[in-house]
Amino acid sequence: MSHRARQLRVSALARVEGEGALNVVVRDGVVERTELRIYEPPRFFEALLRGRAHTEPPDITARICGICPVAYQLSACHAIEAACGVAVPEPVEALRRLLYCGEWISSHALHVYLLHAPDFLGYPDAITMAADHRDAVERGLALKKAGNALLEAVGGRAIHPVNVRVGGFYRAPTRAELAPVAEQLTAALYLALATVRWVAGFDFPSLELDHELLAVHEDDRYAITRGRLVSSGGLDFPVEEFPQHVVEHQVPHSTALHATLDGRRYLTGPLARYTLNHAQLSPLALTAAAEAGLGASCRNPFRSIVVRAVELVYAVDEALRLIESYEPPEPAAVAVPPMPGVGHGVTEAPRGLLYHRYTVGADGLITAAAIVPPTSQNQAAIEADLHALVAGNLALPDDELTPLCERAIRNYDPCISCSAHFLDLTRSPA
Amino acid sequence: MNVVIGVGNPYRRDDAVGLIVADAVARRGVHAVQSDGEPAGLLLAWEGADLAVIVDAVVCEPATPGRIHRTPALPAMHGGMSSHSLGIPAAVALATALDRMPRRLVVYAVEAADVGLGVGLSDPVSHAVPWLVDHVLADLT
Repeated sequence: MSHRARQLRVSALARVEGEGALNVVVRDGVVERTELRIYEPPRFFEALLRGRAHTEPPDITARICGICPVAYQLSACHAIEAACGVAVPEPVEALRRLLYCGEWISSHALHVYLLHAPDFLGYPDAITMAADHRDAVERGLALKKAGNALLEAVGGRAIHPVNVRVGGFYRAPTRAELAPVAEQLTAALYLALATVRWVAGFDFPSLELDHELLAVHEDDRYAITRGRLVSSGGLDFPVEEFPQHVVEHQVPHSTALHATLDGRRYLTGPLARYTLNHAQLSPLALTAAAEAGLGASCRNPFRSIVVRAVELVYAVDEALRLIESYEPPEPAAVAVPPMPGVGHGVTEAPRGLLYHRYTVGADGLITAAAIVPPTSQNQAAIEADLHALVAGNLALPDDELTPLCERAIRNYDPCISCSAHFLDLTRSPA
Repeated sequence: MNVVIGVGNPYRRDDAVGLIVADAVARRGVHAVQSDGEPAGLLLAWEGADLAVIVDAVVCEPATPGRIHRTPALPAMHGGMSSHSLGIPAAVALATALDRMPRRLVVYAVEAADVGLGVGLSDPVSHAVPWLVDHVLADLT
Protein backbone atom coordinates (compact mmCIF):
# COMPACT_ATOMS: atom_id res chain seq x y z
CA MET A 1 0.00 0.00 0.00
CA SER A 2 1.44 3.29 -0.99
CA HIS A 3 0.96 6.34 1.16
CA ARG A 4 3.03 8.54 -1.07
CA ALA A 5 1.64 10.85 -3.66
CA ARG A 6 0.72 9.12 -6.87
CA GLN A 7 3.73 8.10 -8.85
CA LEU A 8 2.11 6.42 -11.80
CA ARG A 9 0.61 8.14 -14.75
CA VAL A 10 -3.14 8.29 -14.32
CA SER A 11 -4.51 7.95 -17.79
CA ALA A 12 -8.12 8.49 -16.78
CA LEU A 13 -10.32 8.49 -13.77
CA ALA A 14 -12.97 5.88 -13.82
CA ARG A 15 -15.81 8.19 -14.96
CA VAL A 16 -15.99 6.91 -18.48
CA GLU A 17 -19.63 7.20 -19.53
CA GLY A 18 -18.56 9.98 -21.82
CA GLU A 19 -16.33 8.11 -24.20
CA GLY A 20 -16.65 9.45 -27.67
CA ALA A 21 -15.06 11.67 -30.25
CA LEU A 22 -15.77 13.70 -33.30
CA ASN A 23 -14.02 13.08 -36.56
CA VAL A 24 -14.33 15.69 -39.25
CA VAL A 25 -12.66 15.00 -42.57
CA VAL A 26 -12.14 17.85 -45.00
CA ARG A 27 -10.64 16.99 -48.34
CA ASP A 28 -9.88 19.47 -51.12
CA GLY A 29 -11.88 22.14 -49.39
CA VAL A 30 -14.99 20.00 -49.04
CA VAL A 31 -16.34 18.51 -45.81
CA GLU A 32 -16.25 14.82 -46.60
CA ARG A 33 -17.38 13.28 -43.33
CA THR A 34 -18.63 14.48 -39.95
CA GLU A 35 -18.78 11.54 -37.60
CA LEU A 36 -19.71 11.79 -33.98
CA ARG A 37 -18.53 8.66 -32.24
CA ILE A 38 -20.46 7.97 -29.09
CA TYR A 39 -20.05 5.18 -26.68
CA GLU A 40 -23.50 4.24 -25.49
CA PRO A 41 -24.26 2.28 -22.34
CA PRO A 42 -28.01 1.65 -22.89
CA ARG A 43 -27.24 -1.35 -25.09
CA PHE A 44 -25.49 -2.98 -22.14
CA PHE A 45 -28.39 -2.19 -19.85
CA GLU A 46 -30.93 -3.62 -22.28
CA ALA A 47 -29.10 -6.94 -22.10
CA LEU A 48 -28.70 -6.70 -18.32
CA LEU A 49 -32.45 -6.16 -17.87
CA ARG A 50 -33.52 -9.33 -19.63
CA GLY A 51 -34.49 -11.97 -17.06
CA ARG A 52 -34.86 -9.40 -14.25
CA ALA A 53 -38.07 -8.90 -12.26
CA HIS A 54 -40.51 -6.30 -13.61
CA THR A 55 -39.88 -4.19 -10.51
CA GLU A 56 -36.15 -3.76 -11.16
CA PRO A 57 -35.76 -1.45 -14.20
CA PRO A 58 -36.19 1.86 -12.29
CA ASP A 59 -33.22 1.16 -10.03
CA ILE A 60 -31.03 -0.46 -12.66
CA THR A 61 -31.56 2.08 -15.44
CA ALA A 62 -31.13 5.01 -13.02
CA ARG A 63 -27.43 4.19 -13.12
CA ILE A 64 -27.14 4.83 -16.84
CA CYS A 65 -26.72 8.54 -16.20
CA GLY A 66 -25.79 10.27 -12.96
CA ILE A 67 -27.11 13.58 -14.29
CA CYS A 68 -30.60 12.35 -15.12
CA PRO A 69 -31.43 9.26 -13.04
CA VAL A 70 -35.04 10.42 -12.47
CA ALA A 71 -35.64 10.48 -16.21
CA TYR A 72 -34.54 6.86 -16.45
CA GLN A 73 -36.52 5.83 -13.38
CA LEU A 74 -39.76 7.42 -14.53
CA SER A 75 -39.60 6.37 -18.18
CA ALA A 76 -39.03 2.84 -16.81
CA CYS A 77 -41.93 3.09 -14.34
CA HIS A 78 -44.35 4.32 -17.00
CA ALA A 79 -43.36 1.56 -19.41
CA ILE A 80 -43.66 -1.22 -16.81
CA GLU A 81 -46.96 0.12 -15.50
CA ALA A 82 -48.31 0.34 -19.05
CA ALA A 83 -47.24 -3.25 -19.72
CA CYS A 84 -49.10 -4.36 -16.59
CA GLY A 85 -52.17 -2.24 -17.32
CA VAL A 86 -51.84 0.03 -14.28
CA ALA A 87 -52.23 3.82 -14.21
CA VAL A 88 -50.98 5.56 -11.06
CA PRO A 89 -53.35 8.00 -9.31
CA GLU A 90 -52.93 11.74 -9.98
CA PRO A 91 -51.37 12.55 -6.55
CA VAL A 92 -48.59 10.02 -7.23
CA GLU A 93 -48.11 11.47 -10.69
CA ALA A 94 -47.89 14.97 -9.18
CA LEU A 95 -45.18 13.82 -6.77
CA ARG A 96 -43.28 12.32 -9.72
CA ARG A 97 -43.51 15.65 -11.51
CA LEU A 98 -42.18 17.41 -8.41
CA LEU A 99 -39.23 15.01 -8.25
CA TYR A 100 -38.56 15.52 -11.96
CA CYS A 101 -38.54 19.32 -11.47
CA GLY A 102 -35.65 18.76 -9.04
CA GLU A 103 -33.72 16.96 -11.74
CA TRP A 104 -34.39 19.69 -14.31
CA ILE A 105 -33.23 22.36 -11.87
CA SER A 106 -30.08 20.48 -10.92
CA SER A 107 -29.16 19.44 -14.45
CA HIS A 108 -29.97 22.75 -16.17
CA ALA A 109 -28.09 24.76 -13.50
CA LEU A 110 -25.05 22.55 -14.05
CA HIS A 111 -25.15 22.85 -17.81
CA VAL A 112 -25.96 26.56 -18.05
CA TYR A 113 -23.37 27.74 -15.52
CA LEU A 114 -20.57 25.20 -15.47
CA LEU A 115 -20.56 23.65 -18.93
CA HIS A 116 -22.11 26.09 -21.39
CA ALA A 117 -21.57 29.65 -20.12
CA PRO A 118 -17.74 29.49 -20.40
CA ASP A 119 -18.17 29.13 -24.19
CA PHE A 120 -19.98 32.46 -24.40
CA LEU A 121 -17.67 34.33 -22.05
CA GLY A 122 -14.46 33.12 -23.66
CA TYR A 123 -13.12 30.79 -21.00
CA PRO A 124 -11.81 27.26 -21.54
CA ASP A 125 -13.81 25.97 -18.57
CA ALA A 126 -15.82 26.96 -15.50
CA ILE A 127 -12.76 26.77 -13.25
CA THR A 128 -11.07 29.58 -15.18
CA MET A 129 -14.35 31.45 -15.47
CA ALA A 130 -14.87 31.29 -11.70
CA ALA A 131 -11.91 33.61 -11.12
CA ASP A 132 -13.65 36.46 -12.98
CA HIS A 133 -17.31 35.52 -12.54
CA ARG A 134 -17.42 34.13 -9.07
CA ASP A 135 -20.91 35.49 -8.34
CA ALA A 136 -22.31 33.77 -11.41
CA VAL A 137 -20.75 30.41 -10.57
CA GLU A 138 -22.02 30.70 -6.99
CA ARG A 139 -25.49 31.44 -8.36
CA GLY A 140 -25.29 28.27 -10.45
CA LEU A 141 -24.21 26.22 -7.43
CA ALA A 142 -27.03 27.67 -5.31
CA LEU A 143 -29.56 26.69 -8.00
CA LYS A 144 -28.10 23.21 -8.23
CA LYS A 145 -28.22 22.93 -4.46
CA ALA A 146 -31.92 23.82 -4.46
CA GLY A 147 -32.55 21.17 -7.10
CA ASN A 148 -30.58 18.65 -5.07
CA ALA A 149 -32.56 19.52 -1.93
CA LEU A 150 -35.78 18.74 -3.81
CA LEU A 151 -34.31 15.49 -5.17
CA GLU A 152 -33.29 14.47 -1.66
CA ALA A 153 -36.62 15.37 -0.07
CA VAL A 154 -38.68 13.42 -2.60
CA GLY A 155 -36.20 10.92 -4.00
CA GLY A 156 -34.32 10.04 -0.82
CA ARG A 157 -31.00 11.31 -2.13
CA ALA A 158 -29.66 13.57 -4.85
CA ILE A 159 -27.55 11.08 -6.79
CA HIS A 160 -29.49 8.04 -7.93
CA PRO A 161 -32.66 8.56 -5.87
CA VAL A 162 -33.77 5.45 -4.02
CA ASN A 163 -37.40 6.29 -3.22
CA VAL A 164 -38.89 5.62 -6.66
CA ARG A 165 -40.57 2.29 -7.33
CA VAL A 166 -42.87 0.83 -9.93
CA GLY A 167 -46.35 2.06 -8.90
CA GLY A 168 -45.15 5.16 -7.05
CA PHE A 169 -42.86 5.78 -4.09
CA TYR A 170 -41.65 3.74 -1.13
CA ARG A 171 -42.56 6.68 1.10
CA ALA A 172 -44.21 10.02 0.42
CA PRO A 173 -42.59 13.05 2.08
CA THR A 174 -44.72 14.96 4.58
CA ARG A 175 -45.74 18.57 4.02
CA ALA A 176 -43.41 19.54 6.87
CA GLU A 177 -40.48 17.86 5.12
CA LEU A 178 -41.15 19.87 1.97
CA ALA A 179 -41.49 23.23 3.77
CA PRO A 180 -37.73 23.97 4.00
CA VAL A 181 -37.35 22.92 0.35
CA ALA A 182 -40.03 25.44 -0.61
CA GLU A 183 -38.06 28.15 1.19
CA GLN A 184 -34.94 27.24 -0.80
CA LEU A 185 -36.94 27.18 -4.02
CA THR A 186 -38.45 30.58 -3.34
CA ALA A 187 -34.94 32.02 -3.15
CA ALA A 188 -33.95 29.96 -6.20
CA LEU A 189 -36.75 31.52 -8.25
CA TYR A 190 -34.99 34.89 -8.14
CA LEU A 191 -31.72 33.22 -9.08
CA ALA A 192 -33.42 31.49 -12.00
CA LEU A 193 -34.87 34.79 -13.24
CA ALA A 194 -31.42 36.36 -12.90
CA THR A 195 -30.06 33.46 -14.95
CA VAL A 196 -32.40 34.28 -17.83
CA ARG A 197 -31.33 37.95 -17.78
CA TRP A 198 -27.66 36.93 -17.62
CA VAL A 199 -27.65 34.52 -20.56
CA ALA A 200 -29.94 36.72 -22.67
CA GLY A 201 -27.04 39.20 -22.85
CA PHE A 202 -24.61 36.72 -24.42
CA ASP A 203 -23.60 36.92 -28.08
CA PHE A 204 -25.08 34.14 -30.19
CA PRO A 205 -23.57 33.01 -33.48
CA SER A 206 -26.30 32.99 -36.10
CA LEU A 207 -27.47 29.54 -37.11
CA GLU A 208 -31.00 28.37 -37.84
CA LEU A 209 -31.82 24.69 -37.89
CA ASP A 210 -34.33 23.05 -40.15
CA HIS A 211 -34.51 19.74 -38.30
CA GLU A 212 -37.93 18.38 -37.46
CA LEU A 213 -38.54 18.91 -33.75
CA LEU A 214 -40.08 16.22 -31.53
CA ALA A 215 -41.31 16.62 -27.96
CA VAL A 216 -43.68 15.10 -25.45
CA HIS A 217 -46.83 17.23 -25.20
CA GLU A 218 -49.68 17.75 -22.78
CA ASP A 219 -52.44 20.23 -23.51
CA ASP A 220 -52.70 21.66 -20.01
CA ARG A 221 -49.08 21.86 -18.83
CA TYR A 222 -45.47 21.91 -20.06
CA ALA A 223 -44.91 18.18 -20.58
CA ILE A 224 -42.25 16.55 -18.41
CA THR A 225 -43.29 13.19 -17.02
CA ARG A 226 -45.80 12.00 -19.61
CA GLY A 227 -47.83 12.89 -22.64
CA ARG A 228 -48.23 12.15 -26.32
CA LEU A 229 -45.61 12.98 -28.93
CA VAL A 230 -45.92 15.92 -31.30
CA SER A 231 -43.58 17.20 -33.99
CA SER A 232 -43.05 20.42 -35.89
CA GLY A 233 -43.88 18.43 -39.03
CA GLY A 234 -47.42 17.86 -37.78
CA LEU A 235 -47.04 14.40 -36.26
CA ASP A 236 -49.17 13.67 -33.21
CA PHE A 237 -49.11 10.15 -31.81
CA PRO A 238 -49.35 8.23 -28.53
CA VAL A 239 -46.22 6.70 -26.99
CA GLU A 240 -47.40 3.21 -28.04
CA GLU A 241 -46.74 4.22 -31.65
CA PHE A 242 -43.17 5.40 -30.96
CA PRO A 243 -41.60 2.28 -32.54
CA GLN A 244 -43.60 2.83 -35.74
CA HIS A 245 -42.25 6.36 -36.15
CA VAL A 246 -38.80 6.25 -34.60
CA VAL A 247 -36.41 3.75 -36.09
CA GLU A 248 -32.85 3.24 -34.91
CA HIS A 249 -30.14 2.05 -37.21
CA GLN A 250 -26.49 1.23 -36.87
CA VAL A 251 -23.88 3.55 -38.34
CA PRO A 252 -20.37 2.25 -38.90
CA HIS A 253 -18.52 4.98 -36.99
CA SER A 254 -20.35 4.74 -33.68
CA THR A 255 -21.53 2.12 -31.21
CA ALA A 256 -24.56 4.35 -30.67
CA LEU A 257 -27.55 3.90 -32.91
CA HIS A 258 -28.83 6.75 -35.06
CA ALA A 259 -32.57 7.38 -34.86
CA THR A 260 -34.88 8.76 -37.54
CA LEU A 261 -38.45 10.01 -37.30
CA ASP A 262 -40.46 8.61 -40.22
CA GLY A 263 -37.15 8.39 -42.05
CA ARG A 264 -36.19 11.99 -41.30
CA ARG A 265 -33.50 13.60 -39.15
CA TYR A 266 -34.98 15.15 -36.04
CA LEU A 267 -34.14 16.88 -32.80
CA THR A 268 -35.39 16.54 -29.24
CA GLY A 269 -34.55 18.63 -26.17
CA PRO A 270 -34.99 22.23 -25.03
CA LEU A 271 -35.35 23.78 -28.51
CA ALA A 272 -38.02 21.23 -29.46
CA ARG A 273 -39.84 21.56 -26.13
CA TYR A 274 -39.89 25.34 -26.23
CA THR A 275 -40.95 25.57 -29.85
CA LEU A 276 -43.73 22.99 -29.52
CA ASN A 277 -44.87 23.61 -25.94
CA HIS A 278 -44.15 27.23 -24.97
CA ALA A 279 -47.87 27.97 -24.76
CA GLN A 280 -47.99 25.60 -21.78
CA LEU A 281 -45.27 27.44 -19.81
CA SER A 282 -46.31 29.26 -16.64
CA PRO A 283 -47.01 33.02 -16.94
CA LEU A 284 -43.76 33.81 -15.10
CA ALA A 285 -41.66 31.61 -17.41
CA LEU A 286 -43.41 33.07 -20.47
CA THR A 287 -42.66 36.60 -19.29
CA ALA A 288 -39.02 35.68 -18.70
CA ALA A 289 -38.85 34.16 -22.20
CA ALA A 290 -40.33 37.26 -23.79
CA GLU A 291 -37.93 39.54 -21.91
CA ALA A 292 -35.05 37.39 -23.11
CA GLY A 293 -36.15 37.91 -26.69
CA LEU A 294 -37.47 34.42 -27.36
CA GLY A 295 -40.33 34.34 -29.82
CA ALA A 296 -42.77 31.62 -30.72
CA SER A 297 -39.98 29.27 -31.72
CA CYS A 298 -36.27 28.90 -31.14
CA ARG A 299 -34.19 27.16 -33.77
CA ASN A 300 -30.75 28.56 -33.02
CA PRO A 301 -28.89 25.86 -31.04
CA PHE A 302 -26.59 28.47 -29.47
CA ARG A 303 -29.69 30.02 -27.88
CA SER A 304 -30.50 26.72 -26.18
CA ILE A 305 -28.80 28.19 -23.11
CA VAL A 306 -31.59 30.81 -22.96
CA VAL A 307 -34.25 28.12 -23.29
CA ARG A 308 -32.61 26.09 -20.50
CA ALA A 309 -32.65 29.20 -18.31
CA VAL A 310 -36.36 29.73 -19.05
CA GLU A 311 -36.98 26.07 -18.23
CA LEU A 312 -35.10 26.62 -14.96
CA VAL A 313 -37.61 29.37 -14.09
CA TYR A 314 -40.45 27.07 -15.08
CA ALA A 315 -39.17 24.08 -13.08
CA VAL A 316 -38.70 26.16 -9.91
CA ASP A 317 -42.08 27.87 -10.39
CA GLU A 318 -43.81 24.54 -11.06
CA ALA A 319 -42.13 22.86 -8.07
CA LEU A 320 -43.37 25.66 -5.81
CA ARG A 321 -46.88 25.29 -7.20
CA LEU A 322 -46.82 21.52 -6.65
CA ILE A 323 -45.54 21.89 -3.08
CA GLU A 324 -48.19 24.52 -2.35
CA SER A 325 -51.00 22.13 -3.26
CA TYR A 326 -49.24 19.01 -2.00
CA GLU A 327 -51.00 16.36 0.05
CA PRO A 328 -49.04 13.14 0.60
CA PRO A 329 -50.52 10.46 -1.67
CA GLU A 330 -52.14 7.69 0.32
CA PRO A 331 -50.97 5.04 -0.38
CA ALA A 332 -47.62 6.22 -1.72
CA ALA A 333 -47.64 3.45 -4.32
CA VAL A 334 -50.24 1.31 -6.01
CA ALA A 335 -49.73 -2.41 -6.57
CA VAL A 336 -48.45 -3.35 -10.01
CA PRO A 337 -48.90 -7.12 -10.32
CA PRO A 338 -47.03 -8.51 -13.32
CA MET A 339 -49.05 -9.13 -16.44
CA PRO A 340 -47.69 -10.40 -19.73
CA GLY A 341 -47.48 -7.61 -22.26
CA VAL A 342 -45.51 -4.79 -23.82
CA GLY A 343 -45.36 -1.31 -22.28
CA HIS A 344 -43.99 2.01 -23.52
CA GLY A 345 -42.90 5.00 -21.45
CA VAL A 346 -41.60 8.41 -22.44
CA THR A 347 -40.54 11.43 -20.40
CA GLU A 348 -38.63 14.65 -21.08
CA ALA A 349 -35.12 14.26 -19.67
CA PRO A 350 -33.30 17.60 -19.35
CA ARG A 351 -31.46 17.00 -22.62
CA GLY A 352 -34.34 15.46 -24.59
CA LEU A 353 -36.96 12.79 -24.67
CA LEU A 354 -36.20 9.39 -23.24
CA TYR A 355 -38.17 6.35 -24.37
CA HIS A 356 -38.30 2.92 -22.69
CA ARG A 357 -40.09 -0.24 -23.84
CA TYR A 358 -40.34 -3.47 -21.88
CA THR A 359 -41.84 -6.84 -22.63
CA VAL A 360 -42.95 -8.60 -19.45
CA GLY A 361 -43.54 -12.36 -19.40
CA ALA A 362 -46.29 -14.22 -17.50
CA ASP A 363 -43.75 -14.97 -14.76
CA GLY A 364 -43.12 -11.27 -14.22
CA LEU A 365 -39.64 -11.40 -15.75
CA ILE A 366 -38.54 -9.01 -18.47
CA THR A 367 -37.97 -10.72 -21.79
CA ALA A 368 -37.02 -7.67 -23.85
CA ALA A 369 -35.99 -4.07 -23.17
CA ALA A 370 -35.37 -1.11 -25.46
CA ILE A 371 -34.05 2.28 -24.37
CA VAL A 372 -33.81 5.21 -26.78
CA PRO A 373 -31.88 8.04 -25.07
CA PRO A 374 -31.92 11.66 -26.23
CA THR A 375 -28.30 11.74 -27.32
CA SER A 376 -28.72 8.98 -29.90
CA GLN A 377 -31.89 10.65 -31.20
CA ASN A 378 -30.03 13.93 -31.60
CA GLN A 379 -26.85 12.46 -33.02
CA ALA A 380 -27.72 12.87 -36.70
CA ALA A 381 -28.88 16.44 -36.10
CA ILE A 382 -25.66 17.30 -34.27
CA GLU A 383 -23.61 15.84 -37.12
CA ALA A 384 -25.61 17.86 -39.64
CA ASP A 385 -25.01 21.05 -37.65
CA LEU A 386 -21.30 20.35 -37.47
CA HIS A 387 -21.18 19.67 -41.17
CA ALA A 388 -22.79 23.04 -41.90
CA LEU A 389 -20.61 24.80 -39.34
CA VAL A 390 -17.35 23.40 -40.72
CA ALA A 391 -18.37 24.00 -44.32
CA GLY A 392 -19.17 27.61 -43.50
CA ASN A 393 -15.92 28.23 -41.62
CA LEU A 394 -13.28 26.43 -43.65
CA ALA A 395 -11.11 29.55 -43.68
CA LEU A 396 -10.56 29.28 -39.94
CA PRO A 397 -7.35 27.65 -38.76
CA ASP A 398 -7.69 24.34 -36.90
CA ASP A 399 -7.14 25.93 -33.51
CA GLU A 400 -10.21 28.12 -34.05
CA LEU A 401 -12.39 25.67 -35.94
CA THR A 402 -11.93 22.91 -33.39
CA PRO A 403 -13.23 24.93 -30.41
CA LEU A 404 -16.15 26.12 -32.53
CA CYS A 405 -17.10 22.50 -33.20
CA GLU A 406 -16.77 21.64 -29.51
CA ARG A 407 -19.04 24.55 -28.76
CA ALA A 408 -21.60 23.36 -31.26
CA ILE A 409 -21.63 19.96 -29.57
CA ARG A 410 -22.11 21.48 -26.13
CA ASN A 411 -25.21 23.29 -27.39
CA TYR A 412 -26.94 19.95 -27.10
CA ASP A 413 -25.74 19.06 -23.61
CA PRO A 414 -25.07 15.56 -24.89
CA CYS A 415 -23.86 12.85 -22.56
CA ILE A 416 -20.47 13.25 -24.17
CA SER A 417 -19.72 16.80 -23.08
CA CYS A 418 -16.33 15.64 -21.95
CA SER A 419 -15.34 13.87 -25.10
CA ALA A 420 -15.75 17.06 -27.08
CA HIS A 421 -12.40 18.04 -25.60
CA PHE A 422 -10.79 15.21 -27.50
CA LEU A 423 -12.10 16.36 -30.80
CA ASP A 424 -10.06 15.12 -33.70
CA LEU A 425 -10.16 17.37 -36.73
CA THR A 426 -8.66 15.80 -39.83
CA ARG A 427 -7.96 17.77 -42.96
CA SER A 428 -6.23 16.56 -46.07
CA PRO A 429 -2.96 18.35 -46.97
CA ALA A 430 -3.54 21.52 -48.95
CA MET B 1 -18.81 17.83 10.15
CA ASN B 2 -17.00 14.97 8.43
CA VAL B 3 -18.17 13.23 5.29
CA VAL B 4 -17.13 10.13 3.37
CA ILE B 5 -17.83 10.34 -0.37
CA GLY B 6 -17.81 7.17 -2.40
CA VAL B 7 -17.39 7.97 -6.07
CA GLY B 8 -18.22 5.48 -8.79
CA ASN B 9 -20.64 3.52 -10.91
CA PRO B 10 -21.92 0.14 -9.71
CA TYR B 11 -22.25 -1.12 -13.28
CA ARG B 12 -18.60 -0.47 -14.10
CA ARG B 13 -17.11 -3.34 -12.14
CA ASP B 14 -14.14 -2.01 -10.10
CA ASP B 15 -15.51 1.53 -10.38
CA ALA B 16 -18.01 0.47 -7.70
CA VAL B 17 -15.32 0.21 -5.01
CA GLY B 18 -15.90 3.73 -3.69
CA LEU B 19 -19.64 3.15 -3.40
CA ILE B 20 -19.09 -0.14 -1.57
CA VAL B 21 -16.74 1.46 0.95
CA ALA B 22 -19.16 4.37 1.48
CA ASP B 23 -21.96 1.89 2.10
CA ALA B 24 -19.86 -0.07 4.58
CA VAL B 25 -18.85 2.96 6.63
CA ALA B 26 -22.43 4.31 6.53
CA ARG B 27 -23.54 1.08 8.22
CA ARG B 28 -21.14 1.96 11.05
CA GLY B 29 -23.00 5.24 11.54
CA VAL B 30 -20.69 7.48 9.52
CA HIS B 31 -22.13 10.28 7.37
CA ALA B 32 -21.40 8.94 3.90
CA VAL B 33 -22.76 9.80 0.46
CA GLN B 34 -22.47 8.31 -2.99
CA SER B 35 -21.42 10.41 -5.94
CA ASP B 36 -21.01 9.91 -9.65
CA GLY B 37 -18.01 12.24 -9.48
CA GLU B 38 -19.66 15.25 -11.14
CA PRO B 39 -17.60 18.21 -9.83
CA ALA B 40 -20.39 20.58 -8.74
CA GLY B 41 -22.05 17.69 -6.92
CA LEU B 42 -18.79 16.98 -5.07
CA LEU B 43 -18.54 20.63 -4.00
CA LEU B 44 -22.04 20.44 -2.54
CA ALA B 45 -21.35 17.06 -0.92
CA TRP B 46 -18.38 18.40 1.07
CA GLU B 47 -19.88 21.85 1.74
CA GLY B 48 -19.09 22.87 5.31
CA ALA B 49 -17.02 19.74 6.03
CA ASP B 50 -13.95 19.79 8.28
CA LEU B 51 -12.78 16.54 6.74
CA ALA B 52 -13.92 14.95 3.48
CA VAL B 53 -12.67 11.46 2.66
CA ILE B 54 -13.17 10.38 -0.95
CA VAL B 55 -12.80 6.84 -2.20
CA ASP B 56 -12.61 6.30 -5.96
CA ALA B 57 -11.22 3.86 -8.48
CA VAL B 58 -8.50 4.94 -10.89
CA VAL B 59 -7.24 3.47 -14.11
CA CYS B 60 -3.43 3.45 -14.25
CA GLU B 61 -0.90 2.48 -16.86
CA PRO B 62 0.69 0.22 -15.92
CA ALA B 63 -1.67 -0.89 -13.19
CA THR B 64 -1.25 -2.89 -10.03
CA PRO B 65 -4.91 -3.66 -9.36
CA GLY B 66 -5.91 -3.23 -5.75
CA ARG B 67 -3.02 -0.92 -4.92
CA ILE B 68 -4.23 2.02 -2.89
CA HIS B 69 -2.95 5.57 -3.10
CA ARG B 70 -3.78 7.89 -0.25
CA THR B 71 -3.30 11.50 -1.21
CA PRO B 72 -4.44 14.97 -0.13
CA ALA B 73 -5.79 15.48 -3.66
CA LEU B 74 -5.40 14.17 -7.14
CA PRO B 75 -3.21 16.02 -9.62
CA ALA B 76 -4.94 18.54 -11.83
CA MET B 77 -5.66 17.06 -15.20
CA HIS B 78 -5.92 18.56 -18.63
CA GLY B 79 -9.28 18.86 -20.26
CA GLY B 80 -11.36 21.05 -18.02
CA MET B 81 -14.57 19.89 -16.47
CA SER B 82 -17.52 18.11 -17.89
CA SER B 83 -20.57 16.48 -16.46
CA HIS B 84 -19.21 13.02 -16.96
CA SER B 85 -15.51 12.77 -16.30
CA LEU B 86 -12.45 13.90 -14.42
CA GLY B 87 -14.52 14.65 -11.36
CA ILE B 88 -12.18 15.01 -8.41
CA PRO B 89 -9.35 17.10 -9.90
CA ALA B 90 -11.89 19.43 -11.52
CA ALA B 91 -13.84 19.64 -8.26
CA VAL B 92 -10.67 20.52 -6.34
CA ALA B 93 -9.73 23.17 -8.88
CA LEU B 94 -13.22 24.68 -8.88
CA ALA B 95 -13.50 24.55 -5.07
CA THR B 96 -10.11 26.21 -4.73
CA ALA B 97 -11.20 29.02 -7.06
CA LEU B 98 -14.34 29.53 -4.99
CA ASP B 99 -12.84 28.99 -1.51
CA ARG B 100 -15.07 25.96 -1.15
CA MET B 101 -12.52 23.32 -0.20
CA PRO B 102 -13.17 21.30 2.94
CA ARG B 103 -10.70 22.10 5.70
CA ARG B 104 -9.01 18.78 4.96
CA LEU B 105 -9.41 16.43 2.00
CA VAL B 106 -8.16 12.86 1.82
CA VAL B 107 -8.51 10.84 -1.38
CA TYR B 108 -8.14 7.09 -1.54
CA ALA B 109 -7.56 6.10 -5.14
CA VAL B 110 -7.76 2.37 -5.79
CA GLU B 111 -6.10 1.02 -8.90
CA ALA B 112 -8.71 -0.81 -10.95
CA ALA B 113 -8.28 -3.99 -12.95
CA ASP B 114 -11.49 -3.66 -14.92
CA VAL B 115 -13.88 -0.73 -15.39
CA GLY B 116 -15.75 -2.33 -18.27
CA LEU B 117 -19.52 -2.67 -18.22
CA GLY B 118 -20.67 -5.21 -15.67
CA VAL B 119 -21.18 -5.83 -11.99
CA GLY B 120 -18.81 -7.22 -9.36
CA LEU B 121 -15.32 -6.23 -8.25
CA SER B 122 -12.19 -7.99 -9.46
CA ASP B 123 -10.47 -10.09 -6.78
CA PRO B 124 -7.58 -7.68 -6.10
CA VAL B 125 -9.92 -4.71 -5.69
CA SER B 126 -12.37 -6.74 -3.62
CA HIS B 127 -9.49 -7.69 -1.28
CA ALA B 128 -8.70 -4.00 -0.79
CA VAL B 129 -12.16 -3.18 0.61
CA PRO B 130 -11.64 -4.23 4.28
CA TRP B 131 -8.36 -2.27 4.44
CA LEU B 132 -10.10 0.77 2.97
CA VAL B 133 -13.02 0.59 5.39
CA ASP B 134 -10.66 0.33 8.39
CA HIS B 135 -8.48 3.22 7.25
CA VAL B 136 -11.37 5.50 6.30
CA LEU B 137 -12.90 4.91 9.74
CA ALA B 138 -9.51 5.59 11.34
CA ASP B 139 -9.24 8.88 9.45
CA LEU B 140 -12.50 10.00 11.00
CA THR B 141 -11.54 9.32 14.61
